[in-house]
Amino acid sequence: MSWPGEGEVRVFAQYDRDIDDEADVVVVGSGPAGAVAAKELTDAGKRVVLVEEGPPFVPSEYEFEGGLSMTRTMREGGLRTTRGTTMPTMQAIALGGGSLVNSAICNRAPEFVLDRWCSDFELERTSRKDLDPHYDAVGEFLGIAPTPEEVLGRRNLLFRDGCEALGYQSEPISRNVRGCRGSGECFTGCRARAKQSMDISYVPAAIRGGARVLTSVRIERILTEGGRATGVTGRVVTPFTHKPSHRVRIRAKAVVLAAGCTATPVLLQKSGDLANRSGQVGENLQFHPGVAIMGIFPDLVHPQFGATQGYQSRHFLNEGFKLETLWAPPAITAVRLPGSGNALKNRLADIPYSAIWDAIASCDRSLGRVSVKRGSLDPVLRWSLHPADVPILSHALWVLAEIFFAAGARTIIPGVHGVAPELHSLREAEVLRDRPLRATDLVLGGNHVFCTTRMHGDPRLGVVDELGRCHDVENLYIVDTGIFPRCPSVNPMWTAMALAHRSAHRIAETV
Amino acid sequence: MITGLLAALVIGYAVWRVALGYPSLRRSYGALTRGEVAFVSAAGEAMYPAGGAIASSGLDADLPDYVDRFLRASAPRIRLLLHLLFHLVEHATVFFPAPGRAGLRRFSALDAEQRVAVLDGWADSSLFARRLVFTSLRAVLTMGYFAHPPVLRELGLAPLAMDTPICEADLLYPRIGEHPATIGLTRAELTPPSDGIPLALDGALRPGFAEPRE
Repeated sequence: MSWPGEGEVRVFAQYDRDIDDEADVVVVGSGPAGAVAAKELTDAGKRVVLVEEGPPFVPSEYEFEGGLSMTRTMREGGLRTTRGTTMPTMQAIALGGGSLVNSAICNRAPEFVLDRWCSDFELERTSRKDLDPHYDAVGEFLGIAPTPEEVLGRRNLLFRDGCEALGYQSEPISRNVRGCRGSGECFTGCRARAKQSMDISYVPAAIRGGARVLTSVRIERILTEGGRATGVTGRVVTPFTHKPSHRVRIRAKAVVLAAGCTATPVLLQKSGDLANRSGQVGENLQFHPGVAIMGIFPDLVHPQFGATQGYQSRHFLNEGFKLETLWAPPAITAVRLPGSGNALKNRLADIPYSAIWDAIASCDRSLGRVSVKRGSLDPVLRWSLHPADVPILSHALWVLAEIFFAAGARTIIPGVHGVAPELHSLREAEVLRDRPLRATDLVLGGNHVFCTTRMHGDPRLGVVDELGRCHDVENLYIVDTGIFPRCPSVNPMWTAMALAHRSAHRIAETV
Repeated sequence: MITGLLAALVIGYAVWRVALGYPSLRRSYGALTRGEVAFVSAAGEAMYPAGGAIASSGLDADLPDYVDRFLRASAPRIRLLLHLLFHLVEHATVFFPAPGRAGLRRFSALDAEQRVAVLDGWADSSLFARRLVFTSLRAVLTMGYFAHPPVLRELGLAPLAMDTPICEADLLYPRIGEHPATIGLTRAELTPPSDGIPLALDGALRPGFAEPRE
């Protein structure tokens, strides 16, 4: 390949030989953080190669059916789980990363969270005031704005009504969406092209700026020489089967890792335990474990209509959880209903009358580890829900029950083992508040992943500094959510993009 | 001699109970074996029997067809785990009998009531691992059930038709596996972005989900 040239994207069908390329900066991973970094670096005049293991998806390839969609867009078919406390957790494999199949929630990390990051991890420039200019820049580019009333749909509005009745703060969720039509299909790809996922926003902008985007290329190793990163190597892989073929080598003056919180530590470990003098690579794994309740209302809710996740409450952030509305492909929604046979079919018939609301929790005591699966680049995730964190989730379930009944639900389905499958009043729901629960009683979802290459002001205690530079390798940067020193208590995408935006400007100054 | 003969008979009987005697298939499957097709059909029928609040049954939804497609689309490790899952539930009743008469048979050979009872046993177990097996099996079957458009139509959950604007990205990316030369769009064909007009719930359904015309 030659340089300079127009920006371009290469896809699997174009690879007919080994690739040997060079750039100022190679960015590994095209999810929210990587795409922002690539675009900002090209805007700064740098020659950028952005590498993505997944293929680009076009709307005619979006599968509405949840299971098949996951097998195509998620690593391990969307069936990855943690060991320890068994909990499903997903990582996308597509151009644009998780932004292709997430619900576009954009929250700035609360001031108190960032203040704690600064005080507990010896950070000096990561307060809200420091990050706000970066949030603003990303927000303006993506059109991040509160979900408009006309596409909230009844499922979201009932949540608002329930919160208002109880005096709980709530608000329409801000999202990177322009022109939402309320199809509720965020998780399988937005057919309206309204969601500003990275593949239609930051990546094309990076290409316009001159970036080369190599899709279906899996990076397997970071090259180093004399204590500096000199590039990356990997293989072309066939979409979906991941069968490796041509070799890829990209030499660069700086390497930016944005492969995701579970893949970046594996890449470092596979590269000779790189950047790990602190021993923190792969450690401190945190999630926002989530629980959800389905509520059945007397009248039709039409839950399939409306922003997938359009309303939230941050009322309980200080108590460790955030509440939000939810809709998923019908099959995925149905999976959580209890029973079998006609009892199950009767419950399925209630879906048009239902809403699902969930809670994501900040479980700081529940830590885990990412390690390498033998003979593979897939990670092994060990994580356990700490018993002391279970009451946070119990409390969240109770508050969700309160909101449902305040909004007029006739029945709730809590999905908690040992609790009746259906509860018909707030009185009956008190069991959620009063009964001590164990982790295995809960149906957990592993939302958002953090901290496996955490930032810390002290090189002995963290992998990167607060601008994303590895303490041990001066031209190696990490910008994905692995650098969060602790979970952010709210959805992390906007914060990851803001941090990547800041890092990109720092990198541009040094390369 | 007699001991050996008895042992051979017992082993032969066990093999027959576990692996043989499945009905022949009316079509070929890429990932499912004959026994697995029988199991998925039986489990699907137990999970989604005829009658009840939704007209379509698991049999109507042709769950083996969906599960076969799902397996073929899945990564090898996931495929292996699902095969193991099917065999575990199918053969557990050879060792731990289902309630009722003649319960010491593989799952697909049990009668309808026994199958439901067996599934309930997995679902309500005090052992987390057993509940997880049930949840996993139900997840696959439920995805298949909902992949059947009549189910979605009956529940009013079928996706609506919607115009997809042509944006800059559509000039960059071909369909997966195809060459960019196949894109066939030019900048002049870009369309205005989404207008943000909410979809009408009584609007036309997405192609592939609408009722077939007579």
